[in-house]
Amino acid sequence: MKEILTALGRIFIRMPIGMLVVLKHLFKKPVTLDYPRKKKPMAPRFMGRQYLERYDDGSERCVSCGLCAAACPADCIYMEPAENEKGERYAKVFEINLLRCIFCGFCEEACPEEAIFMGHHYEFSADNRDSFIWTKEDMLVKHPRKDNPFKTLFRRVRKVYGVGEKKG
Amino acid sequence: MSEVVKEKITAVDTVTCTIDGQQITVPRGTSVFDAAGQIGIVIPAFCNHAKLKPVGACRMCYVEIEKMPKLQVSCATMATDGMVVSTNSQQVREGRKAVIEFTLINHPLDCPTCDKGGECDLQDLTFDHGYDDSRFGFDKMRFIEEEKRDTFDDLKIGPEIVLNRNRCILCYKCVRANKEAFGEYDIGAFERGDLTEINATPGGEVSNPFSGNLVEICPVGALTNSDWRYKIRVWLTKTVPSICNFSGSGTNITFYKEDHKNFVYRVTSRCNDAIDDGWLSDITRYGYQIVNSESRLKTPLIKKGGKQVKASWDEALAVIKKHMGQIKDQSGGVCIGGLISPSLDNASLYSFSKLFRTVFKSNNIDFRGDYRYLPSVTDSLFTIAASQPFSISDIEKSDVIITFGTDLIREHHNEYLKIRRAVNFYNSTVYSVNPYAVKTADIAKSEMVYSPGTDELVINGICLVAIEKKLVNSSAAAKLKSKISKLSPGVLAKLTGLSKEQFEELAEAISSAKKVTFIVGEIVARSLDRDKICAALSNLNKLFGVQDKGQLAVLSRYANSKGAQKLGLSATPYEIVKDELKKIWGEYPDCQPRNTDAMINLMKKEEIKGFITVGANPMRLYPDRSFASEGLEHVDFLVACDMFETETTELADVVLPLCSWAEYDGDYINLEGKVQTGKQAIKPKYESKAAFEIMELIARQLGAKLFENEQVKNEEIEKLLKLDSVLPWPDDFLKIEYEKKSSQDGYPVPLFICDDPHHSGHLTEKSPSLLNFSDSAYVELSKGLAAKIGVADGDPLRVESPVGKIVVPAKISPVLNSDVAIIPRNFSSTQTTSLLMRKKRVDSVKLTRVEE
Repeated sequence: MKEILTALGRIFIRMPIGMLVVLKHLFKKPVTLDYPRKKKPMAPRFMGRQYLERYDDGSERCVSCGLCAAACPADCIYMEPAENEKGERYAKVFEINLLRCIFCGFCEEACPEEAIFMGHHYEFSADNRDSFIWTKEDMLVKHPRKDNPFKTLFRRVRKVYGVGEKKG
Repeated sequence: MSEVVKEKITAVDTVTCTIDGQQITVPRGTSVFDAAGQIGIVIPAFCNHAKLKPVGACRMCYVEIEKMPKLQVSCATMATDGMVVSTNSQQVREGRKAVIEFTLINHPLDCPTCDKGGECDLQDLTFDHGYDDSRFGFDKMRFIEEEKRDTFDDLKIGPEIVLNRNRCILCYKCVRANKEAFGEYDIGAFERGDLTEINATPGGEVSNPFSGNLVEICPVGALTNSDWRYKIRVWLTKTVPSICNFSGSGTNITFYKEDHKNFVYRVTSRCNDAIDDGWLSDITRYGYQIVNSESRLKTPLIKKGGKQVKASWDEALAVIKKHMGQIKDQSGGVCIGGLISPSLDNASLYSFSKLFRTVFKSNNIDFRGDYRYLPSVTDSLFTIAASQPFSISDIEKSDVIITFGTDLIREHHNEYLKIRRAVNFYNSTVYSVNPYAVKTADIAKSEMVYSPGTDELVINGICLVAIEKKLVNSSAAAKLKSKISKLSPGVLAKLTGLSKEQFEELAEAISSAKKVTFIVGEIVARSLDRDKICAALSNLNKLFGVQDKGQLAVLSRYANSKGAQKLGLSATPYEIVKDELKKIWGEYPDCQPRNTDAMINLMKKEEIKGFITVGANPMRLYPDRSFASEGLEHVDFLVACDMFETETTELADVVLPLCSWAEYDGDYINLEGKVQTGKQAIKPKYESKAAFEIMELIARQLGAKLFENEQVKNEEIEKLLKLDSVLPWPDDFLKIEYEKKSSQDGYPVPLFICDDPHHSGHLTEKSPSLLNFSDSAYVELSKGLAAKIGVADGDPLRVESPVGKIVVPAKISPVLNSDVAIIPRNFSSTQTTSLLMRKKRVDSVKLTRVEE
């Protein structure tokens, strides 16, 4: 008899309570995203795949000085400098091996030309290793970004000392 | 100040001073900078260079000296007795900080695009001593070329030099080095104040044969070269110590290489005070580019149906086995001959000798493919003169230096600079005695230009005048007088073109000198009368006792000529070398030894049927092209090993790709007899192999074995190098007969074939940078001769000799002042050696204008 009562209790009391939770969540905002169709906006300082910035006139900022490659702890940046038709230095080859990259952002910090930035791109699944090597063509932005939030971080501050302030 | 520096090193006067609490005793005249360096205290500096006089331009080397009210520049302050110096006090540090701050006022912060980044003195010293900020907020001064206003600050001021005046910190090192060390005036400082700029002289360009050094000593990136421009960052490269392969003195170099790419990026100097003072010639600096060249031979080639086709090593070796084996079996090994380049290392040379003498049992080998009528006896006077000891560092210790029959800037760049140093820093006196006016003359006390072909008369003249003026020991004088032709000084003067006063000046200089350096060069070595000239030199040496108080030698031209001589690579090696070889091998071929001339002659007669050349290019360099080509075309089976396709490889039945000197470890013996090792920088490119490997492979194909292993080879070479290779001069004075030479009618201008100042041998034309300096043959003549013919600079000129004719542009030399023609032999586009005749004493040509 006791077993029958317990079973009935489950059906008529516990289950509606459980269903109520489900019913409640039907009207709540979902926690998950409809991922491939919808994407979560990243935090401004999120460090995803790097991109290469341009000057306002459209020319490449990177001069292939090699400081990002020197700063890189994972040794994932490879570049080859060359001379363009104006006689200026530019990166003929610029490659980042994203399988090695640890997204530490040292390259961004080391860059004296404000050319390389950690971007928000994080989707790099692929079925072969070669696709993880990002070349300059992949990383160079089409147009210079006017609303780059990071640019403010790199504004140079020049201290001007008053006469005699540094004495002693 | 500079007067003090000029004092001879021999000054024994010393001073004792205290630097940073350490006492040190140095010769008087040593700067505080150098004294500190001796006890390991490094004082930072931009403008100071160990081999130049101090100027104190950069003020970076401030030190505090007790009892002096202000900071002093240590490079231009001489150490004195009881001086107490502090190099790292608070005041000094503040002073240096201020200097860096001032230096950076106008220095652009373009390190990311600057080639010097990573090895820049200013970068390093700013890091060590400077502020991390500047108090000078105003705009930086910027030099802008009007026509290139918005693009570019760089200026090309020479074939290989790029100048960025904004980066220049005005240390004047380049201008000083150019003037003091190289004697060139093509770069200078112009304007004044903050507008001061370093630039090429107006209308000129920096193209002297040492211009690469200016880039190397620039402490910032103001002078950079096109060769290293934007190639790679210096911290990504590795350095390998090596030896220059283009000169006889074996200047020390450093290769900058990258392992993954198997690529040599550049060459810089590796200062070795005993040899090179840290200066390199452009040939050394840019000649390395041949290592990376795309046009190198990539695979072996085999001639099939009159055409050379690519083949594998196995196929090529099989062909060699078939043909060489056939010749060896049917006609004997004596029908096989070989010529090797004296620029190869000891192991290659020795393997070559062993291959011929033990496997082929033939004595037909030589290493001098660009001399004609070489002596065919073991102890010819020329061989003796060439074997004499010579020390490069003794040049600057000599008070009298005589350069005889040598155009140093075309042959021995390093010795050229050493002589300049001896004059500028040690007050030596130089006499330049040559058949034509040479560049060395501008530092010479007097330049003597004798008529070409009268070399031995000049030496005899010096001896005769010395005897006449009783400058020498009378018993020796009497002995000599009976031996040489009794020509009166007046007749001698008429024949040689030198006046009696000039002979007297030379004789007095040699007899009164404390230490003499007598340099004899290629003009004598290439002369057919080299034995006679060397006999005269022997007399001169004995009469004045030159070697008792100095040195006299014919300098060897190539990287390992001395090694080749020591290892017995000539057909007639020294007797002791022959004995040692007999001991090591247990056998030595007793057939007739044949040198280059004899071999080519026998090729024509089809007595030599197989021939192997290794790195040598007799077709281009042998001084009679038609003779060499006739010979090589008659050879049944020609094997040529070289880095590039050359005139000789074109004729070859089998061509084997040879390694460059950067691709294996090798020992080289320089003209002093010093053994130096060039380390392997990169792996052999393409399918090339080192010469010693090729020799071993050929030997194994023929069923023999040269060496059990590397150690055996090294031991055998070691045994040979231990031998004393200096041959004694003859005991007695030698008889020299004067014979009248008939001049060739119709060919009035004497011709000299030599190297271009920017090229050496037949390989450097593959280096793009060197081609920027000079890319085709020319005929260099004096202003007077050009006016006589009626040509201007650059006009085509027909050069005719009894045997050949070429058309080359005229080049008016600023130096030449007599009627001679000089043509470089380094360019394959012009068959220069076709003008030469093997049997002629003085080559002469007829120059005519090409009418449009």
